[in-house]
Amino acid sequence: MTDQRTIVVVGASLAGATAAATLREEGFDGRLVVIGAEELAPYERPGLSKGYLRGEESLDDLFVRTPDWWKEHDVELRTGIRAESLDPHSRTVALADRESITFDAALIATGSRNRRIDAPGADLDGVLDLRTVADCDKIKEAAAGGGPAVLIGMGFIGAEVAASLRALGVDVTVVEPFEAPMQRALGADAGAAVAAIHADHGVRMRFADSLDRFEGDGRLERVVTKLGDELDAAFSVVGVGVQPNVEIWPGEPAPDGGIPVGPTLETEVPRVFAAGDVASHEHPLFGRMRVEHFDNAIKMGEAAARNMLGAGAVFDDPHWFWSDQYDMQIQMVGRAPEDGQTVLRGSHEDRSFCTFSLDSDGVLRAATSVAWPRDVRRAIKLVRAGVRPDPAALADPDVDLRTLLPKDA
Amino acid sequence: MGEFVTVGRADEVGDGEAVAFAVGDEEVAVARVDGDLYAFSDICTHRHCNLSAGGEIEGTTIQCECHGSMFSMETGEVLNPPASEPLATFDVRELEGEIQVAVPE
Repeated sequence: MTDQRTIVVVGASLAGATAAATLREEGFDGRLVVIGAEELAPYERPGLSKGYLRGEESLDDLFVRTPDWWKEHDVELRTGIRAESLDPHSRTVALADRESITFDAALIATGSRNRRIDAPGADLDGVLDLRTVADCDKIKEAAAGGGPAVLIGMGFIGAEVAASLRALGVDVTVVEPFEAPMQRALGADAGAAVAAIHADHGVRMRFADSLDRFEGDGRLERVVTKLGDELDAAFSVVGVGVQPNVEIWPGEPAPDGGIPVGPTLETEVPRVFAAGDVASHEHPLFGRMRVEHFDNAIKMGEAAARNMLGAGAVFDDPHWFWSDQYDMQIQMVGRAPEDGQTVLRGSHEDRSFCTFSLDSDGVLRAATSVAWPRDVRRAIKLVRAGVRPDPAALADPDVDLRTLLPKDA
Repeated sequence: MGEFVTVGRADEVGDGEAVAFAVGDEEVAVARVDGDLYAFSDICTHRHCNLSAGGEIEGTTIQCECHGSMFSMETGEVLNPPASEPLATFDVRELEGEIQVAVPE
């Protein structure tokens, strides 16, 4: 018997595509429509700053499911068209071509877009940014012409693009307002260790400085910083963060700019959910938060799909993410409390360590590692279970974190 | 089903461990859990990381060190994303102190 419901997924993003795939895998056989503004079938973006940028991965490697999968599973994948609005009263989604689709349940997974930098010369040829496959292809083409490249911002994207461009032999300078790469995510000490690894690979970094203007005659020739440095540039990649695509949300945005959802990812509109970068989620462990990472998009997409089918499960994933740079992997889980204690396993000098963050009650809330395998993944279960580990055990590399999990957790 | 071929000595795979062997063009991981052997493709179906290099074995599951994909070592089924394609699994046996794996032609 065919399910009579229609489910609309707005956004052919990782979260949206994962939700649609999960709906089919969970046995939903009603009408399922996925609407995506980009032309391509849904794909994973992490490779765009890494393997795909370096030419080691092809587009086929990036697809969330093979392009045929959607047709084979009777998913109406509508790409290359934008959803314009969602009416909570008539329960319809209107597309840019004025078609209107009535839904029983809907998921908003519209992701985010890059922040534009407001600087003179930002419209010159050679000033690039990275979000889509098309963006990445432009960077690859520019890199093939040689450098030097000047990157604006050294968050996740800037740091990964720097590493990939170095692997391609391109001369790289990064301008970053903080004192270290990825400082907001890693903190100053771990960030300094990552900076040292980049310096070993020949990346020049201008910290505590920022972009003043791009200069050139139609085409970028140099980047001028606020402190007055003039950096020759054949091309530039701007990576200064993202903003969530919440325009379709008919209600008020959350203070973090996202779409407010409760613990089960449902919005204030019944059976309308949000997942991924756009979801400002009431997390049972950490409070309201919005996360712009890969694993979260998958996990929220899966959870929203099950909840659209009525599971009613609280989303309590502790948020794990990673960054690959050179042969080093950075991993993080949880959310570090503002006050509390940190415990170091390994050493900053060796550039191989894991930092644990405990709150004022001694509960393990977060872990971050640089070139230190396994322990962040092992800490996921500890964070989820809310354990109060002995700090001495956390600091001792010989203690297997799995032994710190209570047997009944 | 291919023929069983010897890939190594039984003592090369300790309990709770996964070790990679080449069988023709196939990179095969052999793991031992509570004495039982499991053989499966060593290449994660997500981004082609070697599962035997740092993959975490828990019960009869293995979790890729790169991005967290988890598979059943018995059936190859995906138990945690981001992988969506299952792993190939192979018949494996221990015979006279040797590990033998059958990889289809």
